Amino acid sequence: MQKTTQKVRNIGISAHIDSGKTTLTERILFFTKRIHAIHDVKGKDGIGATMDSMELEKERGITIASAATYCEWLEHEINIIDTPGHVDFTIEVERSLRVLDGAILVLCAVGGVQSQSITVDQQMRRYKIPFVAFVNKCDRSGANPFRITDQIKEKLGHNAVAMQMPIGLEADFKGVADLVTMQAFYFDGNHGEYVRTEDIPDHLVAEAQRRREELIDAASMFSDELTEAILEEQEVSEDMIIAAVRRGTLAREMIPVFMGSAYKNKGIQPLLDAVVNLMPCPSDVQNEAIEIDNGERAVVLSSDPNAPLVALAFKLEDGQYGQLTYLRVYQGSLCKGDTIINVRNRKKIRVGRLARMHADQMEDIETIPAGYIGALFGIECSSGDTFVSPGINLSMTSMFVPEPVISLAIAPKDNKSKNNMSKALGRFSKEDPTFRTYVDDETNETIIEGMGELHLEIYVERMHREYHAEVTTGKPRVAYREAITCRSEFNYTHKKQTGGAGQFGRVAGYMEPVADTDFVFENQIVGGKIPTQFIAACEKGFRNSMAKGPKMEFPVTGIKVVINDGAAHAVDSSEMAFQAAAWGAFRESYQKARPVILEPIMKVAVETPTEFLGAAMGLLNQRRGIIVGSQEEGPHCVVEAKVPLAEMFGFATVLRSATQGKAQFTMEFSNYKKLPQSIAENLQK
Amino acid sequence: MNVLLIAGLKERELNMLRDELILQNPLRILAQDNENILPKGGFGVVLARAGVGKTALLVQLALNSLLRGKKVLHISLDDPVNKVNLWYKEVFYHLTKPHDVKTSSELWESMLPHRFIMTFKVEGFSVPKLEERLTDLKEQNIFSPQAVFIDGLPLDQSPKESLLNLKTFAKNQSLHTWFTIQTHRHEKPDPDDMPVQLQNIADLFDVAIQLESEGKEIHLKVLKGGSANSEHAKLLLDPRTMLIT
Repeated sequence: MQKTTQKVRNIGISAHIDSGKTTLTERILFFTKRIHAIHDVKGKDGIGATMDSMELEKERGITIASAATYCEWLEHEINIIDTPGHVDFTIEVERSLRVLDGAILVLCAVGGVQSQSITVDQQMRRYKIPFVAFVNKCDRSGANPFRITDQIKEKLGHNAVAMQMPIGLEADFKGVADLVTMQAFYFDGNHGEYVRTEDIPDHLVAEAQRRREELIDAASMFSDELTEAILEEQEVSEDMIIAAVRRGTLAREMIPVFMGSAYKNKGIQPLLDAVVNLMPCPSDVQNEAIEIDNGERAVVLSSDPNAPLVALAFKLEDGQYGQLTYLRVYQGSLCKGDTIINVRNRKKIRVGRLARMHADQMEDIETIPAGYIGALFGIECSSGDTFVSPGINLSMTSMFVPEPVISLAIAPKDNKSKNNMSKALGRFSKEDPTFRTYVDDETNETIIEGMGELHLEIYVERMHREYHAEVTTGKPRVAYREAITCRSEFNYTHKKQTGGAGQFGRVAGYMEPVADTDFVFENQIVGGKIPTQFIAACEKGFRNSMAKGPKMEFPVTGIKVVINDGAAHAVDSSEMAFQAAAWGAFRESYQKARPVILEPIMKVAVETPTEFLGAAMGLLNQRRGIIVGSQEEGPHCVVEAKVPLAEMFGFATVLRSATQGKAQFTMEFSNYKKLPQSIAENLQK
Repeated sequence: MNVLLIAGLKERELNMLRDELILQNPLRILAQDNENILPKGGFGVVLARAGVGKTALLVQLALNSLLRGKKVLHISLDDPVNKVNLWYKEVFYHLTKPHDVKTSSELWESMLPHRFIMTFKVEGFSVPKLEERLTDLKEQNIFSPQAVFIDGLPLDQSPKESLLNLKTFAKNQSLHTWFTIQTHRHEKPDPDDMPVQLQNIADLFDVAIQLESEGKEIHLKVLKGGSANSEHAKLLLDPRTMLIT
């Protein structure tokens, strides 16, 4: 295993559905000799592509779990990670993106910049991930790579520069001409494995020269050396151009565009060269961790293999040897036999077996240095956990996990499914901290909670497919809350004297709304009116009452309870009695404190071409949404609004039909807000 | 009954705070009829050098309209929606600092539906486009502004014709419209004491307010328009909070 991080590339391949992402990955694996035969996505051999794992992913055209693979090219090690795209999997997306240093954005030469490409681009922008674009399917009729290049400029607002030009297009797409070396590449052999280098055909030379000028012009922005060479009319060397383009790419100020056809095996090798030449190596990227002790302050990590270890688990896999944990080492090195700490639960772990994955086979290794991706065996952890050396307290991800906002009751259809279901639930909640599950005490139903409709839908589907658990689902329910709006007093006596030991307890005090926290309990009793040993029972009584609000049985939040008086009986008082007294006091004063129902409000951003702006705003408006504003950028615009979650069910379908499928939306939890009276009344029914 | 009474009390509390904020606002003395600084369909402009507080003043003018129950459209050509929102929050926070937090946050919530922020990338903005958007909003009954605040439109570069169009549009819709102009140190005002940017288009504007830093203070100078009594009062902008004092 090479030890220089200079020769490592951690990249992702992202694209719109059907741009040929899977095909491209398959070819990359083939040309790097990772696999020895090509299986097409829907090939005649019926085997299916190597990377196509989950049936559900294929069907829906979205990636749900990130997949990782590895290959070598020109003595460089390339780790390829496939990232999920949809916002409902926020946590998964964020963690996968953290692991990447660079990406290939695959675009269809006909379809161009499609809606999903825009989403992917925004994610990369958020995580500042440099990328190169690959215009695929140049053999399809209607292909025009330069139009796509323009679209990247217009629709995505990037400084896209063509690095190649196609030789022939559509049915007679023959190869590509490299504008840096001014050579033509043809791809011979059954699978295009032999690259034949020739001069650029005469009829294309003039155009190639012109485009090369453009390329050099754009690249000179990033290199003084190159600018000088141009001004002094010296020979511009290839290395100079590559170095300048690399600098521009790393700064995300330039997007080099490559072209080819993955299906026809054309243009893959030059793309791999580009990954090696233009994509950042781990030490080019500055990674930051969060210092937990220090108010989540950001700390820059060094890629020094001798520094204390910081590693992030980004993917779990159930293998035949137990749980396989993929992780990326950011700082220091992870060695066999080390003791490391899981920051989330502070558990000490001894590193037993380290491995390096080669698709389905693996190779045992001794150490994983900074910048590398490897796998760890037999360790219990969740996706997104950070591992560190003893003594430091850093986390790669903030410890904040958003509260689930939507819940669904599920029930197994038969006994066999019951077991499988619980297995599946255990596994999913470990992988995804935003997915939670519990059993409702009263109805005995299993409830799953998550971040959105799609989120839960996918998990139910996965249960069915991966665990053969047939489940029926209830209607999605919004996680309402209850709260009080004013101060109210209580003075409640719990008394039961029916022969034998009785129960007696009196509590008095007040409750009032409090912001930012769920429950505060304050004891202001003086003179031992309630003996100290029963104070805890009072608190417990109040706290338990919070789980189900008296108004509509939703959890209650934001209450401060102060007790300042009470009474006890020498014989008849017990913990039970005081718990009951507290419970009664809570009921009593709660009704007086003007309780209200709170509903989750979502921050919704709808992206739409400007022509549908009005329609999109209308839809949001109908849904009790407050439109915060609209933002126009070139041909597409974003409407930001705050809409109650309860109104957002099925919004995706409505939005699609109102905008010819051209608009898409993202939604995340914003805050809780009082439910309007009329709707609260409806809910009560 | 009891609930109604409490609800009534709440309402009164809100109204009181609202009235108080309006009364407190020193901008009042600029106003002609104690309410509107601008006539219906009128144009106003805030001029200042970079960093003196154009946006802060604009947001205060906007908040003032919001408090008076007007619907406000804020158009920003530089800042994204979130940043504009932050401006409002910050200025509102400073304004209501002496008051009860809970009431003021309720007031804020009640004002939100009356505000609409639109941002455009500068190249994308044009008067016809604005008209199109506004008609859109109105037709669908989503939002019909009574006051428009446009931050960052390079007035001196926009053709006078399009401004005239906008003016007609504003007249028809009886909108109050405010603009901002960034002035520069090196530019000398013309003989009428009007900044160069306004030279050709000064006739379009009913009110022009210039912010000038003098020593540690920022003075509000009314170049054009305003009511008579504004001449006696001296308006200052607190450099710390950017609020008018």
